[in-house]
Amino acid sequence: MLEINDLHVAVGGKEILKGLSLSIAAGEVHAIMGPNGSGKSTLSYVLAGREGYEITSGSIRYRGEDLAAMAPEERAAKGLFLAMQYPVEIPGVTTMNFVKTALNAQRRARGDKEIDALGVLRLVREKAKALHISEEMLKRALNVGFSGGEKKRLEILQMALFEPTLAILDETDSGLDIDALKVVADGVNALRSPERAMLVITHYQRLLNYIVPDRVHVLSAGRIIKEGGKELAHELEAKGYAQIVKDAA
Amino acid sequence: MSALVLPNRRVEDWKYSDLRNAIEPAAVESAPTAEWRVDVSGAVEQSPLPEIMPHGRHGEMGVVAAARATSGVFLHIGKGERGTAHLELVTAGHGRTLIVVEDGAMLTLREAAAFGDFANIAFDVVLGVNAQLDHIREAAAHNDAVRVSDYSIRLAQGAAYRAHFADFGAKLSRTELHIALEGEGAEAHLSGVSVLGDTGHADVTTHITHAVGNTQSTQLFKLIAGGKSRGVYQGKISVAEGANGSDSRQTAKGLLLGERAEIDLKPELEILADDVQCAHGAAVGDLDPESLFYLRSRGVPESEARALLMRAFLEDAVAEIADETIRADVWSRVEAALAELSA
Repeated sequence: MLEINDLHVAVGGKEILKGLSLSIAAGEVHAIMGPNGSGKSTLSYVLAGREGYEITSGSIRYRGEDLAAMAPEERAAKGLFLAMQYPVEIPGVTTMNFVKTALNAQRRARGDKEIDALGVLRLVREKAKALHISEEMLKRALNVGFSGGEKKRLEILQMALFEPTLAILDETDSGLDIDALKVVADGVNALRSPERAMLVITHYQRLLNYIVPDRVHVLSAGRIIKEGGKELAHELEAKGYAQIVKDAA
Repeated sequence: MSALVLPNRRVEDWKYSDLRNAIEPAAVESAPTAEWRVDVSGAVEQSPLPEIMPHGRHGEMGVVAAARATSGVFLHIGKGERGTAHLELVTAGHGRTLIVVEDGAMLTLREAAAFGDFANIAFDVVLGVNAQLDHIREAAAHNDAVRVSDYSIRLAQGAAYRAHFADFGAKLSRTELHIALEGEGAEAHLSGVSVLGDTGHADVTTHITHAVGNTQSTQLFKLIAGGKSRGVYQGKISVAEGANGSDSRQTAKGLLLGERAEIDLKPELEILADDVQCAHGAAVGDLDPESLFYLRSRGVPESEARALLMRAFLEDAVAEIADETIRADVWSRVEAALAELSA
């Protein structure tokens, strides 16, 4: 589903990713772990198509297509979803209105029929409940005044609504207490399916106790330096990044 | 007859709206008297202008309009009555309008400016004790129009003036308000949006005087400028000596969509009383790239995302319009203008 080959990415002229290769098949959950500054967020942004992240060499193929050639909205319409580490606050746009606009924009791009306001409301209500998202929260301006946990839950709600083919979760565990983490992880696990792939980006092993990955990759200084099964996450937790980086060198 | 000297950028108050650059003095001098289509309902009475007009304060062009207009519109609503009036200019030129809302009366005034010529109107508005005026002005986009509206508004004790100004730009568009809070408990709440593209210009200049204590004023103006347009907001608040307990709030924000557009915001405070609350803020920015990316990453196409963010930027100012129907009307015009700007 996702084939990243020898990817080099520069931000503001500085090379952050330095030859990253990664392959994810449908139905798989992969985790990328790495210390601060290793390039984790750069990878998530370059996959989602954020401006200012320049691919200097290498390639990203998503479902056989060149991902880099697509606008961010096109990627979304084709089933790519990035749950952001810091979801933005947008005063003046209600959460419900935003969700409806985004959902219908994706449907329109795919040639599906748009869903009316009532239909969207019904859909949202059904998914929001499991994530402990209240009606009141949906009426508020997008992410404005939301707690860290509320923001992350809203990201997962969108993921549940958009039903992406490839979901990237960027530090979804940051700022969550253990209860919120469980709610979020349950939400993510409910979306695991043979047709869907996930890439979980995290600094800590904690999240991976709840979202158990098929593969774990360790990212350091812009490159994958070690790969393994879910036990690699535990090894990292026990030894620390410094030791793993040293061992790999 | 000595040649008329038009306000221009050398005059501080007209720095960002050079009338001399927009129209020939001869065209101003030869302009006819403006005519309106007036629709009234409820207890509103319409009659010719009275011989004696109130002595409200006007700006330079308001004085010119008052001197040159040979006739005008007089709307009057009696004590405790209610009504609505719809004013639409049908013949451009110099005009004069007097609106009197007697004690305890309530008037809703809608004003449409859609002409494509030179119009210079002086409005005198007098609100009696506990009188209320809700005023909505919509000025359609018109690249050739030069329009100046100069309002003098006087409020007696407990009177309330609520106004919203939606301006979509002209060659030169100047809305000038001189508001005098003359009685205790009087309040003025102004809001407005300017949505400008191409070579559009819109200037809102307000001067609110808290002449006595325990008066209140709020202002919330949002300006969006794309293309080579220019949006201007100048707001002066004067709190007179002894006008203690006055409360004045003023916010103006601009959104610049290109390097060739310009927004000028100039808040000004003149406080001579001791015990007053005044807060003001002004800021000009660009569309937030993070917000834009967030929306696009969720599948919203770029132009739609831009329009959505612009709408969000204007939201609180338009929300100030109390009447739901009028608010929806203004939104539909705003959205049409935004669609053009974000295309």
